[in-house]
Amino acid sequence: MTLPSATLLAQSALSGIFIGSLYGLLGLGLSLSWGLLHVINLAHFAFAFLAAYLCYQLASVGGVDPLLTLVLIVPLFAALGIAVQWLLARFSLSPLNSLLATFGLTAIVEAGIQGYWTADFRKLESVYAGEKLRIGGLFVPIPELITLALAVALSFGIYAAMRHTRLGRALRALAEDAPIAAAFGINAQAHALAIAGVSGALAGIAGVCLALSFTLTPSSIYAWVGVVFAAVMLGGLGSALGPLFAGAAIGVSEAVTMAVASPSWAPIVSFTLLIALLLLRPGRT
Amino acid sequence: MRIGRIARQVVALCTLSVMAGAPLAQNAQAPIRVGSTLALTGPLAATSLVHKVVGEIYVEQLNQRGGLLGRKVEWIVKDDQSKPDLARTLYEQLVTSDKVDLLMGPYATGAILSAMGVAQRYHKVLVHHTFGIPSMANYDMQFPAWSLGPDPATTVPNTVFDALAASPAPPKTIAIVTSKFPSVHFMSLGAREVAKKRGLQEVLFLEWDFGNLDYGPIAARIKDAKPDFLWVGALGLEGNQLLDAMHKIDYSPKEHFYMYPAPGPMSKSPLANNALSMTMFEEHAPFTNAPGAAEFIKLYHERAAKAGIPDTSVEVQAAASYSAWQILEAGVKGAGSLDDKAIAAYLKKNGADTIQGHLRFDGPHNYGDDLMRVKQVQDGHWVTVYPKAYAAPGATLRVQ
Amino acid sequence: MLHWVVLATSWNILSGYSGYFSFGHGAFYGAGVYTAAVLAGTFGIPFLWTLPAAALVAALLGVALGAVVFRVRRVRGELFALLTLAVTFVLATIVQNTPIDGGPGIYLSAVPVPALAPTAAGTFYLMALALAVVTLVLARAIATSRLGLALFAIHDDEDAAEVMGVPTYACKLAAFGVSCALAGLAGAIQALFVSYVTAGSTFNITVPLTVVLMSVLGGTRHFAGPALGALLITVLLYASTAADHAVAGKAITGVILVAAVLFMPNGILGRIRRKSPRDTRDTTPTPAATPEADSAIHSVRANRGAPLLVLRGLRKSFRGVHALDGVDIDVRDGEILGVLGPNGSGKSTLINVVSGHYAPDAGSVRFAGVELAGISAHRIARAGIARTYQVPRPFAHLALRDNVALTAMFGAARRDRVQANAEAQRWLAFTGLSARSAMLPGALNLHQTKFLELARALAAKPRLLLLDEVLSGLTPAEIDDAVALIARIRERGTTIVLVEHVMRVVTALSDRVVVLDQGRVLAEGFVSEVMARDDVAEAYLGVAHA
Repeated sequence: MTLPSATLLAQSALSGIFIGSLYGLLGLGLSLSWGLLHVINLAHFAFAFLAAYLCYQLASVGGVDPLLTLVLIVPLFAALGIAVQWLLARFSLSPLNSLLATFGLTAIVEAGIQGYWTADFRKLESVYAGEKLRIGGLFVPIPELITLALAVALSFGIYAAMRHTRLGRALRALAEDAPIAAAFGINAQAHALAIAGVSGALAGIAGVCLALSFTLTPSSIYAWVGVVFAAVMLGGLGSALGPLFAGAAIGVSEAVTMAVASPSWAPIVSFTLLIALLLLRPGRT
Repeated sequence: MRIGRIARQVVALCTLSVMAGAPLAQNAQAPIRVGSTLALTGPLAATSLVHKVVGEIYVEQLNQRGGLLGRKVEWIVKDDQSKPDLARTLYEQLVTSDKVDLLMGPYATGAILSAMGVAQRYHKVLVHHTFGIPSMANYDMQFPAWSLGPDPATTVPNTVFDALAASPAPPKTIAIVTSKFPSVHFMSLGAREVAKKRGLQEVLFLEWDFGNLDYGPIAARIKDAKPDFLWVGALGLEGNQLLDAMHKIDYSPKEHFYMYPAPGPMSKSPLANNALSMTMFEEHAPFTNAPGAAEFIKLYHERAAKAGIPDTSVEVQAAASYSAWQILEAGVKGAGSLDDKAIAAYLKKNGADTIQGHLRFDGPHNYGDDLMRVKQVQDGHWVTVYPKAYAAPGATLRVQ
Repeated sequence: MLHWVVLATSWNILSGYSGYFSFGHGAFYGAGVYTAAVLAGTFGIPFLWTLPAAALVAALLGVALGAVVFRVRRVRGELFALLTLAVTFVLATIVQNTPIDGGPGIYLSAVPVPALAPTAAGTFYLMALALAVVTLVLARAIATSRLGLALFAIHDDEDAAEVMGVPTYACKLAAFGVSCALAGLAGAIQALFVSYVTAGSTFNITVPLTVVLMSVLGGTRHFAGPALGALLITVLLYASTAADHAVAGKAITGVILVAAVLFMPNGILGRIRRKSPRDTRDTTPTPAATPEADSAIHSVRANRGAPLLVLRGLRKSFRGVHALDGVDIDVRDGEILGVLGPNGSGKSTLINVVSGHYAPDAGSVRFAGVELAGISAHRIARAGIARTYQVPRPFAHLALRDNVALTAMFGAARRDRVQANAEAQRWLAFTGLSARSAMLPGALNLHQTKFLELARALAAKPRLLLLDEVLSGLTPAEIDDAVALIARIRERGTTIVLVEHVMRVVTALSDRVVVLDQGRVLAEGFVSEVMARDDVAEAYLGVAHA
């Protein structure tokens, strides 16, 4: 076996970064609601796909620019996120119960998607689909670049907001110790709804990115769950930057394995890495 | 709610016959019940919908012709949710609690294997449309409509390479990339063997797990290997995703073959131009000359559009599905009874005429002739290009 | 359907009882599937013989994983879930890419079904039923056993459980092993039933997800909860298989799930239990025998005055801060030793190190002649050391009675479950809590919770009791109560180390005192001597008076 060329390695790593950024983008909203609201929101994936289908519908049937659909999708899904959180909060569910409830919700959304769009494959043929940049020997597809840019901007944006704004600090305080924070006059409920809104909007944005680069089927909602969960947990619950870096790490490690060895062995590298990290990483008790 | 209506009619008929004091006639009037499952939800739902539409068309046509053995036919379909274990349980239910008279196979290979186990246990005939691994069909009363012959791992690649050899630019090097999904994986392994025997130089062999999300690195490696011909052992969506990934790094293979692509999206994709695939039926002559084919195609266009299927053309899946029902009808009519042994004996001896042509079941694992043809995406449509006798009028294999 | 009962119930034995949510049940189920498939399908071994092998392989896999994972204190909660999920994917990849499967799947239709019943379907039903019954019986037995109580305690507060003498590592491992073995068995039977095995349909996230849903729906704290959840979900599943409504059926299943979890957050059985009238044992009169009559303890008094606990050169630092910086202390048998010191002087760390909560960085802890430094906390507890926490850490989901019985079972006394319950009643009576023995700790006020901590520590029959600021936060009247109680405990011959802020308590109770400052022993001796020293007044009292 000859050594893989540098271009191949670089192109593969790039591909890993792109897919990793999508893991990160999907994981970001999940991480926020899991870490800060203690809601394991499986429906996050369902919402992302619903947004993707919506984007498909608006863009390929309605002829709207896919990125313009964000104008509608972001507020819509923020509202959806808030509505779900409001419901869950009313019943004050434990994290596991939230997993159960949102699983039910996922089934409903999946059925809804299949009912309206059928189970057949849908692919958005947008103006961006075929576009790519050429940098040296490397090709950078535009849809993936958009995903990466959004993922990085949102992750760092939310990170900065959590650090430097009053709201962000209040949120972190709430996550650390809700009763104490409440004693300092922080309105837990309003903040929870705000987070849920942000998380919902993130699902919507991730959905548009999905629609830009992937062929959609209702059941592929579940294809993302395992690896995105891994990215979220590896990145640290409630962390804004964690999912992005963890997602990229998983994506790149898998992509490089695919480039130098057999693609079918790829999961073992990323997940063994993950296990080793979990067991050996010092600190974070 | 068509079945509901039929059921009501049947109930009415039964009531009539009872009132007429003819209890014996009652049995003769009760419909023949055919049971099956389909993956109406879950990852296999897209293709299952095709089989549901076809089954409904066929049962309707059959009943218009007077049904089977003078009795109406009723089709009971359950949703196995793309889970083979659920399919198994549901087939047990169909046999033991619904007490259906006949079985029709589910979609796809995994579920059919489950159903086959049940059929074998209860000595029922099982006709199925989409079973991809003949060597695993070890039951003597199962009848396949997926007419690739008993050894597709050898014959399918051979046909593909024959087609390429007859093209203006026969390939010298080959890259084989494949999903580990069972029904395509064994074909790709077969392609490897055949390519070696035929003297093609293998420049790349890759396998990925079914459910892989990132095709970028695979595409990059194909581009790096620069094969004359690319064999893609992909199922459904995977082929499209790989095509997308290759397009993203500005690569389009010279000649490329996809095992079981999702028919609609692939022909519609501009990237798929010149992509090859296998077929047993397409919507053009000479296939459309088969008896009943034209009418079926017309009905299918209508119903598929109504069911919301985006690509309404009849191709392999729909044709295989239709053939399976034709086999079942032929078996029952030929045997003159619902006796499973008699049906099986008749089919083994006589085969069945279908829109794919005449099918035999006397080969190994009850498979008969290899009816595989090669088709190609040309200007947004699938057209058969090989062998010549089945090529669409004027169509030949194109290369870049 | 029955195999879901087995899977959900077996999952619950580890995850429901102890709170270690595993997302790897698919891996152990899959291990069983593939063991049976390979042995029966490839090697032609009769199916029934593959069953024990399947159980063994799954259990070994679980125990091996547990043996590594449970050692890492950090891997709990979601990290444990992630880890087990990752193991599933790794295992799937291995199976997929090695001759175990290699890709095409394994076909089992040639494997003869054992003739346990007239029909093959009957045989499957019988096997599944038998396994389900065995699983439920086991789950029930565990729930009501020592192991069960230990697991429930681990669920609430693992560190506290370990300090109370629960061998948490062994308990988790045992539960994991049983859980995995049952999953493996279920997998083996399922393999033959489906008779076509592929890696994709075996190792996926559906199995663990479904199992979690079933258990949570039914109720994880009851042995039969997961079974009930499994029944409900499978009934829903079959109800939605009618083809005409497949998609709608799926949506309805979703709606039912959402509604069920919103209105029954503790699961179905959790809800039913909450509605049923309170446990009748609530009114059980406390046993007549008073702890004071216990003569076994008095014999210890013979050794009074000899050093019971000897600390030498004890060091512990956290990220460079020396909480204990070479501490030498003797605790004499039968005395009350007061430990004083300003905040951050290392008092609590001292207790945490002696009780095994933290391992010391250096130095020795000799207790009754045995070296305890570095051994696990539960063995320290069994050696005869019990403690209370400054901020009480009762097991929130266990009744008071069970809270106390736990230490009676796992502490130095090592009672069986029946004796332990009686013991628990006695100590609850001793601390005046018997009327509340069936309540959950959440119903108590701080004063009562502190007494619960005491009862719990005492039920272990310790020779040495470490009291970490038991009095902080109490009203003066409550303090008087507590002081009287501590005096009574000492009367019974128990040696006590009293870490305390309230000066008058220390002077009233202690025989001797030790003053810590910045991790070192500043002074040691009789109360009056120590108090008279200038440096002590400066370091501690000076600050207090300022």
